[in-house]
Amino acid sequence: MRTKTLLGKSILWIFLLVFAFVTLIPVVITILGSFKTNSELTTGATFLPSLWKFSNYREAWEQANFSTYTLNSLIVALTTVVGTLLVASMAAYVVERMTFFGKKLYVGMQAFTMFVAVGAVVLRPQFDLMVKLNLHSSLWGVILILISAHASIFFILFSFMKGIPRELDEAARIDGCSPGRTFWRIILPLLGPGLGVGALFTFRGAWNEYLLPLVFTMTKPELQTLTVGLANLKYGISAASQTHYMMAGACLSILPILVAYIFANKSFMQMTAGSLKG
Amino acid sequence: MNKTKNAVFSYSFLFPSAILTLVLGIYPIAWAFRYMFYNYKGYGEARFTGLDNFSRVLHDSQFWDSVVNTFVYAGGKLLLSIPLSLLLAAILNRGLRGRHLLRAVFFMPTVISTAVMAVVFFTIFNSYNGILNQFLIKFNLTSSGIDWLGPKHAMLTVILVAVWGAVGNYMLLFLAGLQNIPEDVYESSALDGANKVQQFRYITLPMLGPVMQMVIMLAIITALKGYESIMVMTEGGPAGKTEVMFLYLYKLFFPVGGNGASAQVQEFGYGSAVAFVSALIVGIISLVYFYASKRMNRTD
Repeated sequence: MRTKTLLGKSILWIFLLVFAFVTLIPVVITILGSFKTNSELTTGATFLPSLWKFSNYREAWEQANFSTYTLNSLIVALTTVVGTLLVASMAAYVVERMTFFGKKLYVGMQAFTMFVAVGAVVLRPQFDLMVKLNLHSSLWGVILILISAHASIFFILFSFMKGIPRELDEAARIDGCSPGRTFWRIILPLLGPGLGVGALFTFRGAWNEYLLPLVFTMTKPELQTLTVGLANLKYGISAASQTHYMMAGACLSILPILVAYIFANKSFMQMTAGSLKG
Repeated sequence: MNKTKNAVFSYSFLFPSAILTLVLGIYPIAWAFRYMFYNYKGYGEARFTGLDNFSRVLHDSQFWDSVVNTFVYAGGKLLLSIPLSLLLAAILNRGLRGRHLLRAVFFMPTVISTAVMAVVFFTIFNSYNGILNQFLIKFNLTSSGIDWLGPKHAMLTVILVAVWGAVGNYMLLFLAGLQNIPEDVYESSALDGANKVQQFRYITLPMLGPVMQMVIMLAIITALKGYESIMVMTEGGPAGKTEVMFLYLYKLFFPVGGNGASAQVQEFGYGSAVAFVSALIVGIISLVYFYASKRMNRTD
């Protein structure tokens, strides 16, 4: 009996460790590969770099435009986070606290945009619209479209809003505080945890977004984000000689979010698990 | 008086959200809904052609090939990722040392970019000079390398990459469901002499029913919709072997993507019709699954 459980446990652990290895190895390959020479990457079959070539990062940063891509990714992600949280929290506040005509219609509309899957077709009218508004030659077009897709953050903040006692609104009202001031001074600070989780999720989505910036910046390399610039390396004429840039560029995209994940993995996971009950 | 003031305030706070959703979320769908009845290529005049686009969809063998590919892709992804994630969740749910760390490790792929990882997986699976083949040759497991992204294996490769990205997510959802099953059910069944496998079969699975139904539903929709990683890795090739429904649709709207893709021409009107049919296919499959799986939900 003892040996049987021991055997079972060993099999269990081998399975877990093999799967953990498979999960981690692509990322490990990327990180280690970002320090290798191109020829070592394409023919070397080595695990560790034979010579740590830190200059890959400098070259990718300076010659392969990754400084521009990183800056663009940061601008898109941070602006989208701020915009999304602002727009969604304001809407969540009035929908949760106030009564007004058309509330059900608004909530239905948000749910609709979350569940209808029509794929790339929407990118076309979105792009034409931004051309008309003259927002296609900057990153604002991309940012506005990313902010417009805030339905899930709206529902998340809505459920957090429910947890803030209404007595606080009442007390503020009696003290002569307008609903607007109540929102900025009382509700928003108390919404902190919800905003934090929402920020994490929005940042992940905007930072990792590929198709939208791809379509908007096809002919404008100076506006491309990390995901677009990196994928374009793969299609370039000199792709075969730039595998080391691909790895360094991939690290630039992966590492910030990975660091955030290491510190906040509980929030990331809590949110995913929470969406089940919501 | 107070009531109107309140309403004005409410609408002013709702305005940014509502206008953004209407203009950038609803209008594009309405746009597609209109142009699916038109012959419109993005330039020149849009000509109303009634249901012509739909009869063309019916006879578009390239589209139906992509539908078949979508089913193979989604089916493969589901068959691998659902049992695997359920197994991992069941293991990590019980008091195992290091389970928090393992949980975080398995969930990690879901936080990084699909497109970026697709580039990485391309350099790993690349048939010529790919990292995986380098090692296979080095250890004499194959003499000339396996054509991972070639016509024979490309579909399997994109499925494996998709599974890599999905398992952690479903594992976490299953874990959340498992934690709702009260511990004493297991304890009393253990007293009655039930072993781990029996507990899993007769307690865990039935009590997980509602969660399972939701996770599989989510997995079906995500798998049918997915194309980003395929687009970066294979562009639907070789010879359309990995071209899925929504990738075909993408190419109708953006034929000369950053991906130097096919020689297709842009077809906004026809593309809108394809989008409608694709959305319909996803919708019908979800509904069929929903009714077929109601049985799972009956346990509580």
